[in-house]
Amino acid sequence: MKEELEKITPSKISSFQVFLIHVCCGLALAVGFWVAHNVYSINLIFDPTGTLRLIWAIEFPVVILLFSCFRQKPEKCSYLKAIARGLLGLPVGALINALGALALGAPAGLQYFERTVSWSLLMSSLTFVPTACVYGSCWTDWHRIFACTKPKGSLDFMLCLPAHGAVIGAWFGAWPMPLDWERPWQDWPICVSYGAMAGYVAGMVGSLGLALMHTGGKQLKAE
Amino acid sequence: MWGWWRLGKWTVLVMFLHIIAVLIFTKGFLLTRTELPHSSHCSDLSQSPCHSSSYCWTKPVVDRLIIIVLDALRFDFVAPSSFFEQKQPWMDRLKVLHRMTLVNPSSAKIFKAIADPPTTSLQRLKGLTTGALPTFIDVGNSFGAPAIVEDNFIKQLIQNGKRVVVMGDDTWTQLFPNNFNKSYPYPSFNVKDLNTVDNGCIEHLLPSLHQQDWDVLIAHFLGMDHAGHIYGVDSTPMIEKLEQYNAVLEKVIEEIQNQSGPGKLHENSLLLVMGDHGQTLNGDHGGGSPEEVETSIFAMSFKNLPTLPSEFVSSSCEPSKNICISSIHQLDFAVTVSSLLGVPFPFGSIGRVNPELYALAVGTWKLDDNKTWNNQDELKLEEWLQNYVNVICINSWQVKRYVDVYSASSVIGFSSEDLFHISDLYAKAKENQLNLSFDKNESSNTSLPVLKRQIVAYFEFLSYVAELARSKWTEFDLKLMVTGIGIMLFSIYCHILAIRKLNKSYVVSLPLSRDSGISFGLMLASFTVLMRASSLLSNSYILKEGKVANFLLATTCIVTLRFSFMMNKLLLEAIIFLLLIFICRIAIEIGLYKQAATSQFMSASSSWVLGISLSESMWIYIVEIVSILALIILGYFLYNAISSYCRGIAKCAMMGTILSYLLIALYWISESNILDLPHFLKGMGKTYIPRTIYSIGLGQILLMTFVPLFSKEEASSYKGSLYVKMISILSTCSSTIIILQGKQGAFVALGFLLAGYCMMKLQGIEQHSVGGAAKITILDPLPILQWSLLAVCLFFATGHWCAFDGLRYGAAFIGFDEFVLVPQAILLTIDTFGFSHIFSVFGLPLFVQMEHNSLLSINLFWIFMVYGLITATTATATIVCVAIQRRHLMVWGLFAPKFVFDVVGLILTDLLIFVASIYYF
Repeated sequence: MKEELEKITPSKISSFQVFLIHVCCGLALAVGFWVAHNVYSINLIFDPTGTLRLIWAIEFPVVILLFSCFRQKPEKCSYLKAIARGLLGLPVGALINALGALALGAPAGLQYFERTVSWSLLMSSLTFVPTACVYGSCWTDWHRIFACTKPKGSLDFMLCLPAHGAVIGAWFGAWPMPLDWERPWQDWPICVSYGAMAGYVAGMVGSLGLALMHTGGKQLKAE
Repeated sequence: MWGWWRLGKWTVLVMFLHIIAVLIFTKGFLLTRTELPHSSHCSDLSQSPCHSSSYCWTKPVVDRLIIIVLDALRFDFVAPSSFFEQKQPWMDRLKVLHRMTLVNPSSAKIFKAIADPPTTSLQRLKGLTTGALPTFIDVGNSFGAPAIVEDNFIKQLIQNGKRVVVMGDDTWTQLFPNNFNKSYPYPSFNVKDLNTVDNGCIEHLLPSLHQQDWDVLIAHFLGMDHAGHIYGVDSTPMIEKLEQYNAVLEKVIEEIQNQSGPGKLHENSLLLVMGDHGQTLNGDHGGGSPEEVETSIFAMSFKNLPTLPSEFVSSSCEPSKNICISSIHQLDFAVTVSSLLGVPFPFGSIGRVNPELYALAVGTWKLDDNKTWNNQDELKLEEWLQNYVNVICINSWQVKRYVDVYSASSVIGFSSEDLFHISDLYAKAKENQLNLSFDKNESSNTSLPVLKRQIVAYFEFLSYVAELARSKWTEFDLKLMVTGIGIMLFSIYCHILAIRKLNKSYVVSLPLSRDSGISFGLMLASFTVLMRASSLLSNSYILKEGKVANFLLATTCIVTLRFSFMMNKLLLEAIIFLLLIFICRIAIEIGLYKQAATSQFMSASSSWVLGISLSESMWIYIVEIVSILALIILGYFLYNAISSYCRGIAKCAMMGTILSYLLIALYWISESNILDLPHFLKGMGKTYIPRTIYSIGLGQILLMTFVPLFSKEEASSYKGSLYVKMISILSTCSSTIIILQGKQGAFVALGFLLAGYCMMKLQGIEQHSVGGAAKITILDPLPILQWSLLAVCLFFATGHWCAFDGLRYGAAFIGFDEFVLVPQAILLTIDTFGFSHIFSVFGLPLFVQMEHNSLLSINLFWIFMVYGLITATTATATIVCVAIQRRHLMVWGLFAPKFVFDVVGLILTDLLIFVASIYYF
């Protein structure tokens, strides 16, 4: 499987592979929830830090291992190097996510520090790490995907849409926080995490749809 | 002038539409309870079904009444500390009251008195004397107390020949002008003065106790309220005040006790020591939180009395100490005291005669017949109850009469269902009463249970009326409200029309225009404005409005940052901007924390913790030095700007600002304890430095208004001259605003400046061609939206919030010691709206992009109109939301203050835009 994947030029990723990766990432999230619920019997509401960390611990390896397979210029960059890039991208992405959240009004107190860290690690694995694995530190690619939002091809869609989905979902997830319903899930970062994950899943669906359309369109053109 | 009118007519039109809409809506929304001009008379009683006697309404029980009002008396100042979980330093200070309740539990009693919000002194005095529910609109009158026109307790006293003496707070003489036989008023609005009113009170109180020329004495002490406002509850001045009051009360009680023997002056006296409202730990009041609403009444008569049957006692007792505390509504005060003195009850009162307070005094006229209460207890009790039934019967009849008259004279009074229920309850009670009378004729020995049932029936009626009045006493005129909203929406339509027109003329006159219609900036701006507008529908978002505005501002800023990444340009500016927003956010949270301490709707848990445990004095020094440093930086920027751009008069004017900055620094130094300045010098500095700064500012404004009329300066470029104008007016305003805002002012001004610079640089960034020069063809509303959101954020970050206790009254007294309405109101307005409205409107030319003259004025007007539109949209949303939520639990506590602040802000913005457009044109 590995060799097979390496032979393919990454920009030409088949819609089946997109499907596979998205299903794996989605499943990893689901497994994370399942393990938290049934093995450790914790959930996001009563132990946000632990649950987020657990979900991250399952999601992150899946993401980093899967996306490293689609690294750019595989002849120059080994699989291990891609993984190392992903590992390096993780804290950077976490920092950026955390700073963004703080600017938007996430609680800055010390008692929220652990939660913020685990949330931003998860956010980083959803948004930042995949691109770090695939493109490394190539500025133009980052620029294309995140600043201009002009993805080319299925691979770019696969990186761009779920990441934007997660961020936008988290943004919307913050809206119920100030309401006075006094529900435990209104606490930081519970509803934001739910929003982010929902947005991530929506982004994955969108990316998959686009990938299908893309290949379909190409086939049509070829015909 | 004609040139101005061509563009400026729209601002005038919109302003007038706004004013009309707001006036109409306010008339419908902030409608007060209709005040009825009727008053009660002795002869009215013949219409009542109750047992009438030779007395006026009720048998006078008390000859002389001494009311000592301690302003802002918290319940825990009076109640023993054993009632609370924790003993605090301010508890148990009024020891004499505890001692009295312990010694004679049947003649002295502590009550927990529950006030109805709004808990400002004026409203409470009005409520206490009329026995009615005060309405929201009167809050605004609190600064110039108008006379009470409704029937009230004081008026009844005067009508019935009682002589009243009042001393202390001059609000009393303003509320009841020319009503008192003697008055010793002292000015009440100088918050910093803890002693004048109190010393005046003490000076006259004790001698008056020996005099015979009064029947009712009112002494209103104010020091505690002021001590709370300035130092908070947990402070030495507050405790000193409490100790002082304790000593005064001790003397008063001793004096009265000495004269309470038969035939002496105070044979039949009742002493009431009461608060008009409570206060929070910060010393604020006005809202409806338990701390503000709960105050206390201590009542003491100087005779031994029967104990009440337990059914009518609402007290909670402290077994170990034998002190019982009952609770009473302030609503009941007027009628209870009237019944004790035997004067007609105020016409509009909806309270009931409180049985416990009544029982405290009521035995006094019977004592001669029977000196041993223990014998024939039951008979005495029955007699007491019979008497009380009669009183409560009169009480119910009076309330029923008021309800009837009120619903006849008011268009939208109570609903017919409720009226029917009221009549039903009353009829039932009355029927019982008739039975009672028959019983009385047949056998003189009415059984106790019948009497008790009767009392219960009346209580049911009275409490139902009070409850109904509480829940429904705001009459909204829906027609007017809808009209107001309609005009508001029309004004927005005009606004948009005007902006489109300006846009068109702008695009037409631009040679290289490419009309692309809707830009991304426009979309984002509209989306954000709509988001903010819809957020006002929820009370939670209004409470945290600062955070919401900050969230939206940060969102737009992140979008801008993304654009700047896209263009690979101005990254530093975008990041600095984001950083400023982050700092602003922290400041907003500190403000929220302060608000939570006083607000009834917010829990006081803070989400941020400063992990700094520096010693306090060290902290203060740092803050002082850093704020002065910020001021110096500001002055340096200004100096640079002056020396490079300005010439002639403008330069002269702006040098004045630098002088003002120096004076502010001097003022801060003199205020702090860094330098040990001699006392008189400090006093001089405190009053004269601020006044000098105000007058310099005023002089600068005059200079800038009149000089351009005589000399036409030819500037090198129109944009340059616009900037010079802007810098001069901003610097002029800044000195006054900074001194009013205190030490944070310099930081905020600096931050505002920096943020404005970043926004100016960043504007239209998404239209920049990559690498090329800026070619802006479309007017971009995004930076203006950001500017307006920043203004909102700064309003909250500088420690304001949309409630009346959020006004920083202290700012009104910078440079002034006495209260004079006009200058204080102006200073308070400048403090409240300084950064968020004045600064931001005059700073708008920052976003002018055009160099060319004719286009520049179009551009300027376009910016003003867009800014006005954003403010108007938010205000309209507030108005609509207030209308929708008019039956909300928090309508008076939260929505109405928000409405008032927004509406005032809107009109102010319109006015400022009008002035600024003339100034800049």
